[in-house]
Order: sequence, then structure tokens, then C-alpha cells
Amino acid sequence: MGNDNEIIDNIANKEYEFGFVTDIEMDVAPAGLNEDTIRYISAKKNEPEWLLEWRLKGLQAFRKQQLPTWQNFEMPEIDFQKISYYAAPKSKPKYDSLDQVDPELLATFEKLGIPLNEQKALAGVAVDVVFDSVSVTTTYKEKLKELGIIFCSFGEAVKEHPELVKKYVGSVVPHSDNIFAALNAAAFSDGSFVYIPKGVRCPMELSTYFRINTENTGQFERTLIIADEGSYVSYLEGCTAPMRDENQLHAAVVELIALGNAEIKYSTVQNWYPGDKDGKGGIYNFVTKRGICKGENSKISWTQVETGSSITWKYPSVILQGDNSTGEFYSVAVTRNKQIADTGTKMYHIGRNTRSRIISKGISAGEGQNSYRGLVQVGPKADSARNFTQCDSLLIGDRCGAHTFPYIESKNNTATVEHEATTSKIGEDQIFYLNQRGIDSEKAVALIINGYAKEVLNQLPMEFAVEAQKLLSITLEGSVG
Amino acid sequence: MTQQPAIPLFEEVVNGYNNLSASGSAGQESSDLRRARQTAFDKFRLLGFPTIKNEDWKYTNINRFLKEDFALDGIVAEAGAPVAAAYPKSLVEKAAIPELDCYQLVLVNGAWSGEVKGGPLPKGIHLLSVAAARQDPALSAWFEKAEWGNQHFATLNAALFTNGLFIRVDAGAAIEKPLHVIHVFTSDRNVLVQPRHVWVVGKNAELSVIESVVSSSGDTKIWANSLSEINVQTDAKVDHVVIQVSAPGTRLVHHTTVRQKKQSLYNNYTFTLPGAELVRNDLQARLEEDHTETHLYGLYLAAGQQLIDNHTLVDHQKPHCFSNELYKGVLLEESTGVFNGKVYVHQDAQKTNAFQQNNNLVISKKATIDSKPELEIFADDVKCSHGSTVGQFSEEALFYLQARGIGEASAKALLINAFAFDVTEKLKYPAVETYINDLISHHIPVAHA
Repeated sequence: MGNDNEIIDNIANKEYEFGFVTDIEMDVAPAGLNEDTIRYISAKKNEPEWLLEWRLKGLQAFRKQQLPTWQNFEMPEIDFQKISYYAAPKSKPKYDSLDQVDPELLATFEKLGIPLNEQKALAGVAVDVVFDSVSVTTTYKEKLKELGIIFCSFGEAVKEHPELVKKYVGSVVPHSDNIFAALNAAAFSDGSFVYIPKGVRCPMELSTYFRINTENTGQFERTLIIADEGSYVSYLEGCTAPMRDENQLHAAVVELIALGNAEIKYSTVQNWYPGDKDGKGGIYNFVTKRGICKGENSKISWTQVETGSSITWKYPSVILQGDNSTGEFYSVAVTRNKQIADTGTKMYHIGRNTRSRIISKGISAGEGQNSYRGLVQVGPKADSARNFTQCDSLLIGDRCGAHTFPYIESKNNTATVEHEATTSKIGEDQIFYLNQRGIDSEKAVALIINGYAKEVLNQLPMEFAVEAQKLLSITLEGSVG
Repeated sequence: MTQQPAIPLFEEVVNGYNNLSASGSAGQESSDLRRARQTAFDKFRLLGFPTIKNEDWKYTNINRFLKEDFALDGIVAEAGAPVAAAYPKSLVEKAAIPELDCYQLVLVNGAWSGEVKGGPLPKGIHLLSVAAARQDPALSAWFEKAEWGNQHFATLNAALFTNGLFIRVDAGAAIEKPLHVIHVFTSDRNVLVQPRHVWVVGKNAELSVIESVVSSSGDTKIWANSLSEINVQTDAKVDHVVIQVSAPGTRLVHHTTVRQKKQSLYNNYTFTLPGAELVRNDLQARLEEDHTETHLYGLYLAAGQQLIDNHTLVDHQKPHCFSNELYKGVLLEESTGVFNGKVYVHQDAQKTNAFQQNNNLVISKKATIDSKPELEIFADDVKCSHGSTVGQFSEEALFYLQARGIGEASAKALLINAFAFDVTEKLKYPAVETYINDLISHHIPVAHA
């Protein structure tokens, strides 16, 4: 048992490995949120009038809304007026090659283990690096261009493809959806834009590495992915952030649109700074992610590995509008120290023969709190809708918590909805079995956790699966993984 | 202070409370009880009636029921002289369970005449009307617990109750025959009835109770807001069946709190059948000491535009407790079923085993089901699981039966009975099982179009 406690202590006390600050000159907007700030951001980015108006509508919606109270954790006080809503590297050059990039920036990525030059060599990963808010460099752009694929920063898309942006922005997550989505609509800084033309199968994984850098700068990313009829795209999102004392707010919005027969696969590995062992200083990750299967036979799949942030609060959802469309959600959420994760998904079955599958694995250690909150809604027209949900929780240590709040609403008698959840700790018999075979307790726990999360990790693209496994190791290793 | 001035019932209960405080009836109660009433009432004034914005009432909109006018019933009933109103005898006949050897008593709008059929009662069990018990200094402490939290209707009852049934079983007494309590709700005007029942089952005692809820149908509306507290002491065993077969025009809100001490056993079986437009059951089992065992079984068969809402809470406070829950629902016509099952495991409650399952059979196109099984776990050495399903008849099973010459209607009835069997088979008395099965069969051909 002594050994067990040691392992637990190790997990609980593990230092954040990616904590460092990059010293690059920043262009920072004065703190505060008002019309002037919005106009400042919009002007800085040379945005057209319609987008400014849309931002202002978002601001109005934000002012009308209250912070939610239903979440299963104590909401920290956020002073929205103390946050600066815009930060961009001062000189904003567009690089043609890596040589021109600030060497310190490159060093940052080096530390993160995602050196761009190596990334290039890696099997076809194009990386759109968002360094605090503005895209610094985009790789593989030329190759994608040949296929007609648009993969650029949101700001660039507004300039070059305004018709697409205008048509789809806010169509899945409206500016008034919730207070954080409204905040994002008003103040979003930048983000990624992807358009896959009809019948094109994107030959490589598209990837963006987000990184929060400047002190007191909320990061408000906005991602919009449109997969036109019969197309396919796999998109990766991964995050790490430097060590900070003041809490940083991240309120991103991700919108996915899958037209007929299209498929979007969206994978996230989230490893923002979780705060120190007293829970001080971590990132608040309040994200609105939603996709719509607009056309028939379309498919949207969310995969997430959540190991960072002091509070993770998000529910990647799918609106299954087209007949025969499919929504999937695979999640591994790890909380330790005083981390909190309140995450899950929403599946709205609207069209006929729609299917959804939810696999959620929570791991709580130390004083971490993990909640699964999910909604499966079957509308009256969703004949023969099918859902399967499984959410398992693993508890390590006696001061953590695991909670499950599934909502099932069915208005159709031909629907089949299944939900099951279990909560348990790693069995002493399981550890004993592995000990018997010469595997020490630490490796045994790692093995069990890996097996436990495998169903989700298997969904990740190869390059990402490696990082995810590494992350799980770093998070629960020290010790366990 | 008036939170919901638009609701006539709110005014009515505020006036009712003032009348109660002014009347001599409350004056004879202990000062602690009067204080408990005041606390509960203040809480209710603050809470008001629930709306769909309250998470616990998210799927149960009672707005349309609150628009009706109700008078408060029972406020003037004087102590010591519980008067049972006249009631249609056919209701009691309907509720009687054939071939069940039991002690039968009838409560009319919460008032008991003192009569027991099948008696005399054996030694060790004491029955008393609450109208008398609440004024008995030795018993009034049982009414003073004020742990209703944000339970709107429980606080309302705790403030305004005047009658009900008090059951006490002495330590070591095992009551062999079950007690069949028939709750009759009847009135010639719209009333809000608020009976409160308290059971105290002593150490190592055994008690089996079957409660039937029936009501007279007619143009008048009856809102019954009942509150039951069941105290199961160390090593005691309680078997509790609730059968709700009330008529249209009835709204049932029933809150039950069970408190279990060391090594006690509590079994609950709740059956809700078509009839009352609104049925809301809150069943809360508080496992206050270790090594307890709890079984909660439920079956709801909803028809018409009925809304049946079952909220359960199993509160694991201490280690080594076992709880098992199985609720099954069949939804016909335009009915709505709501299930919310919460299992809460405190940090102290290591070695907890908690299981929960909710299965729903949605038969009709216009029926709705909202299910929310919840787990909140703060201890690591536990085994907890829950499952919830929504589905319909298996085409294969139907085909199998039809291929063997069984008509579609009969085949479906057979499948519904089979679906319900998982719950009914758990019943202790075969006579009750037969009675329930007959009730289900009776409603299927009628309800199923």
C-alpha cells in the first residue's frame, strides 16, 4: 500500500513539464471589453463592416447573459474588464521559409517537441501555428492549394473568402448561444479556417498548435471547418501553455459543417497549464464546440484527450440533421491536483436513421474532479435513431471525485438509446495479477490506464496518438505511466 | 415576499398557514414543532412552486395544474377527533388485493378513523393518527426534522400538514402479516390535501406495508402532496410497496425520505398506473450508518396525457452499504415519463456497491421519455454503475410470437408483461404480484391503440 500512496503522491505533485515563457515583443490591447475594444480589434485586423457588426451583436448578447450556475464546480470569479482582448506579435511578418522566423519562437516549439522542420518531415502534417493570436506561418499551403483546399488563418479567410465565412460563421454556434460564445463572437482574435471542396479527400492531417503566451491575454480562437459534399478531412488541435500565476481564460469556438456524404474528424490534445498543486494559476478552458451533419450520410467525429487546464468546461456536440448521419464522441479526461473537468457531449438526433456513439473515460487523481455531462436528444422525426453511450470513471486516491450526469430525451418510439456508466478504482486483484508476472506496481498501473484509455486513443491519428500517449504518461507517469 | 403572486394556490397556502398558526390546533403542538413549521414555511415562501427552470423539475412542467383553484383541506380538523369523510366504498374494493392476508386500514384525505380490518393488531405495532401524534410531546420530535433542502413540496407539507398515519413498531417485533394502507382521496370541491406519515421501525423489528393510492374521479380536482418519513433502525427490515392507481383529476406529489441505520434493510416497490394526470414521486434513501442494504424497484405504465416522474436519490453516507435500483417504464399514447436517479457517494462511504438501471419501452409515436441517471462519487474504493435504455418492441420477438399464432395485440401485451416481470417478480407476496399483473393487463388493451 505504501507504494500505492507514493505513486499517488507522485501523480499529485508532478510538475508541469511544458511551463516556460517565451520572450517576444507583443502588441497588446488595453484591458477591458467595450465597443471601443471591439472596434480596435476589428480595425487592427482590417475587417469588413459586416464582421464588425456581427462582433457588436456578439457584444450585445454577451452583456445580456449571465454566467451559468448549473455546472458541477465552483465558478471562479472572472473580471471580464481586466482581460486584454488582443495580443499579436509586434512585427507581423509573413515568412516564406522557417529561416525568417524568430529563432526564439522556433526554440519554443522545440521545447514543446513540435519543431516545425521536423513536422515538415513527418508524414504530411501541415501546421498552422497560432502564436497567441496571429498566424505566424503556414506550411504545406501550396500542396493543399493544388487540391483547392483552403487552410488558413481566420483573418486571412475573411479577406480572401468572405462569401464562405459570411455564409457559415455563427451558423452552428450563434453569437448568442451562451455567454462564452457571445464573448468569443465579440472579441475573437484569430483562428483557423478550413474548406474542403466537393469530393476532395484531404491527403494529410491538418493541424494547428495553439499556444497562450502573453500575460493577461484571453485567447479567443475561432475555428470554422467546412467539408463540402463527399469530402473528408481530419483536423488536429493541440495545446500547451507556459506557467503563469494569474488565471487565463480561454473561450474558443469551433464550428464544423459537414455537407452530404462528407466526413470531419476533429481531434484535440489539450495540455494547458493546469495550475500548481494548490490549483493556483491554471488555465480556464471554456470552449464551445459544435458540429452539424447537414447533409445525408455525413459524419462528424470528436476525439479529445484532456489532461491540462485548471478548469476544462466543454461539450463538443453534433447536430445530426441529415438522414443517416453519424456523430461520434471519444474522450479521455484526466484530472489531478485540484483540476476540474466538466465535459461531455450533446447529440441532437433530428434526421432519420441517425446514429451516435459516445465513449467517455474519466480518470481522477489527487483532488481532481471529473464530470461527464451529456445529452442525447431524439426528436419526433428521428425515426430509427440509435445511440450508444458508455462513460467510465477511474478513481485514483480517496480525495478525488467522479460524476456522471447523462440526460436522455426521446420523443420517438422507434429510437433506441443505451447508456451505461461505471465507476471504480484500479482493482487490487488486477495489480496483484500483474505483480505476479514480474511487472512492478508503477508499470502495472500504467498498463491498466493505457488499456483503459485505448478505446479512445485508438481514434487519434497516428502522429497524435504518440503525443497523446506521451501526455498521458507525463500526466500520470512521474510514477504511473 | 410573494414570489409567485400569479398563482392562486400560492395565496391560498399563505392564508392557510396564517389560519393554522392562529387556530388552536397548532397551539397545542410543541414549540419546537411550531418552529419547524415556521422554518419550512419560510423556506417554501422563498422557493415558491417549482418551474422548469429548477433542475429537479426540468422535465415536469406543473404550470397548467397550478392554474386551477384549490382550497386547503384539513386545516380545521381538530386534534383527537379525526373525522373521516364519507367516501365511495367502491374505491376501497378496487384497492383491496384479493387473497392477501393483511391488516387493512383506510385513510380518507389523510384521516384515519381508527378502524383496522383483519385485526386485531398483534403486539408490538402501534398505529396513531398524525392529528393526535403531532400533539403528543413524546412523539412530536419525529415531525421536527427539517432536512428538506430545496424540496418545494416537502417544505410545503412540513409547514401545513395536519393529519396522516403514525406507525411505530417496537424493537424486536416482527409483524408477520402485511399492513395494507389504502389512501383514498375524494372531495366535492377542488382541494389540496397534505398528509404526512411517519414510520418508526425499531431495532431488529420487521414490517411490511402495502400502500394503495386511489381517488374518486369526477369534475373536481384533488392535489395530494404527501410526505412520508420512514425510519429504519439498526437491524430492522422494512418491505414497502406503493401502488398508485388514482383516477384522472388527481395530481399526486409524494415525497418519501428513508433513513437507514446500521445493518438495516429497506425494500421499496413503486407501481404507477394510468390515471392521475400528474404523478411525481421523490424517493430518497439516506444510508446514515454502515452495512445497510437498499433495494428500489419501480414500474411505471403511463397512458393518455399522463406525466409520471420518478426522482430517486440514494445517499451513501457510510461505508459498506449496498444499494440496487431498477426502474422500468412503459409509455403509451401521449404520455411522458421522467426518470431521475441519483447515487451520491460521500468520501466516507468506501466499499460502497451501488447499482442503478432504468429501462423504457416507448410504445406510442407521441410518447416522450426523459431519463437522467446520475452518479456523484467522492470515494475511490467503490463499485458503482448505472445504465439507461430507451427502446421499443423487438421486431424479432413480435415476429416469433405471431409466427406461433398469437395475435399482434396479445403478443404486445405478453411482451409488456414480460418487460414488467423483472420488477413484479421481486415482490414478496404472490397475491400482490398477481394483483399488479392484472392491473397491467387491464390497462394494456384499453390504452394501446
